[in-house]
Amino acid sequence: MSASAARSAQGLGDHRKGLAAGRLLRDLKILLPFAVLVAVWWAIYLSVDFSPQVLVSPLAVWHAFAHLVSHGVMAEYANTSLRMIGLAALLSLLVGVPMGFAVGINRYAAHALEGFLRFLQGISGIAWLPLAIIWFGFTHTTTLVIVIYTLIVPIVFNTMIGVRAIPEAYTLALRSLGASRLRLVKDVYLPGALPSIVVGLRLGMGYGWRALIAAEMLVRKGGLGDLIFGARTFGQIDRIITGMIVIGCLYVVVDRLIIQPIENLTIARWGVLRQ
Amino acid sequence: MSDMQSARRGLSRPALSGPDVRKIITGVLLIGLVLFGQQLYGRVTAAGRLNPALQGATGPRNVIVVLNFIPDRFHNERVAEYGVFAGRDGTLNRIRLRNVSPDSLARLAAVAWVARIEPLP
Amino acid sequence: MSMAKTSNRSSARRALDQVAWRLLPLVPFALVLAAWIAYWTIMRPPPATLPAVPDVVAVLWELAAKGELATHVAASLWRLLLGVLLGATSGVILGFIVGLNRSVSEFISPLVVFFNAISGIVWLPLVIGWLGIGTALAVFLIWNTVFFIVFQNTVLGVQLVPQIYEQGVQALGGGRWETIRSVILPGALPYILTGLRSGLGFGWRALIAAELVGATTGLGQMIFGATEYHRSDIIIGGCLIIGVIAIAMDRWLLLPIEQRTIERWGLVFDARKEE
Repeated sequence: MSASAARSAQGLGDHRKGLAAGRLLRDLKILLPFAVLVAVWWAIYLSVDFSPQVLVSPLAVWHAFAHLVSHGVMAEYANTSLRMIGLAALLSLLVGVPMGFAVGINRYAAHALEGFLRFLQGISGIAWLPLAIIWFGFTHTTTLVIVIYTLIVPIVFNTMIGVRAIPEAYTLALRSLGASRLRLVKDVYLPGALPSIVVGLRLGMGYGWRALIAAEMLVRKGGLGDLIFGARTFGQIDRIITGMIVIGCLYVVVDRLIIQPIENLTIARWGVLRQ
Repeated sequence: MSDMQSARRGLSRPALSGPDVRKIITGVLLIGLVLFGQQLYGRVTAAGRLNPALQGATGPRNVIVVLNFIPDRFHNERVAEYGVFAGRDGTLNRIRLRNVSPDSLARLAAVAWVARIEPLP
Repeated sequence: MSMAKTSNRSSARRALDQVAWRLLPLVPFALVLAAWIAYWTIMRPPPATLPAVPDVVAVLWELAAKGELATHVAASLWRLLLGVLLGATSGVILGFIVGLNRSVSEFISPLVVFFNAISGIVWLPLVIGWLGIGTALAVFLIWNTVFFIVFQNTVLGVQLVPQIYEQGVQALGGGRWETIRSVILPGALPYILTGLRSGLGFGWRALIAAELVGATTGLGQMIFGATEYHRSDIIIGGCLIIGVIAIAMDRWLLLPIEQRTIERWGLVFDARKEE
């Protein structure tokens, strides 16, 4: 390798290292506001004489977290919640997307269902909890039903919108070439509606996660909602705050690190149809 | 959560697959860690928990489950799933279990928060 | 002669189409009602599981006559009003302050994302220790929910006002305050209104969830209290009322305000589509 080529190869390596370092710095910058928040929290805690029933120090929260993790409690409760939302999301997609397609294809059906779906969304899943408790008792089935209800409405709604937004020219073109219904779904409807479906999933996960925590608070059969509500009974503020932080972090990870990038990818790949 | 922000971002940003795919991988790994991390740790360290006398058991055994802490109701309930609860062995963190099948013994040894499993004399 | 007949027939058909279009949204409700009546007539389920339709109507009438329904609705709406006013004002004011200052908004953005993730019911176990059960708790939870939505939308609206308008006002000699009043405020208004509309919907749902667990009056408490006595007629009736109020608030309160304000400022922006 010639001297200049070797030099430029090394320059490229340095450039790559610089990029990686820049990315790391940017990721760490996100943590800075939280560090400031914890510092402010600590300062407030130290300056005012709070009863442990009202506020605890960040250190106490850390200890509670370590305690819950090492005792296997956090892992189990977090698992229960994550599995529940995952199952609910899967079932909601399996049922909701086909429903959204079926309704979206027909202009009249879409118009008919729009108001009804909004009505259902207005009666949040949580409001149906008491009825679900009467029907299914204080069980995981109750929680699952309520979370699915909450998740499925935005998915159906957005799938519907996604399908309706596909320009008729595309479906007409394929149909004139003799494409079957199935082919139409696979090649036009699914890719065309996909960005909207993912948006619907994202919205649904936001509503659903919240509904899940609330349902777990009432059903008390495990999960993070049960954890923080149960800790209330014993006045364990450190556990409550730990639970709240875990609830927030898990949602942010799922939303920002998994669903949002998927949304970006689908829009980038198929988003052309949106315009 | 303002989905308007995401809609705007989607319309103005060019198709960058790199950072998005990286994020998804990181996210899946993190969630995987929460879901399976402690379970995996328990399984990997299972051999160290089981007393040599109990290794390779072929029939049901009576054991003492030793914890490094005073168990909550949570832990008592979980431990009791592996055998017949037979009281404490001296201190609160030593739990007696009778009639633990070899299969249950193996699974109990894989529980991360169990310190040791000793044979019940 | 035949031409006149044809045109009469087609205009009659058009009118019929219009009426049908208007009535379509009622179809799903009618279908659900029919299914309910059919199931009840065929299966004769115990009243605790599924009451007959007239039972629900009767119990609602009874509660209305006794004044109980009015008490609950009034309690819920009062809490909603307080929470939304607090949330909206704090959200808009802070949204402007932060939106106008780019470095501040970049710094606190991760914090806002995190706290939005835990907004609402997740705060209940913690706050119930500070504020006890009742109106204060509910108002806090609603404020929490509404604030983050309105805040985020306001920041977005403020930041998206094209620089060129600001510069235009400044070129004509307008000061900072003038710029804000005549350019940024109208420019951000569609986003603020969208935020308010979203916030109201979220706030109403958060209120019901809050009342399920921590209140002595209100619609949420009414349906949760009925669980103990297996009064599913009260529960279903209550849920329907909750849904009706949600739709009424959105349709007759906010949509007109939104449309009229946008018309006034001549901004071409179909806020109805953004949700």
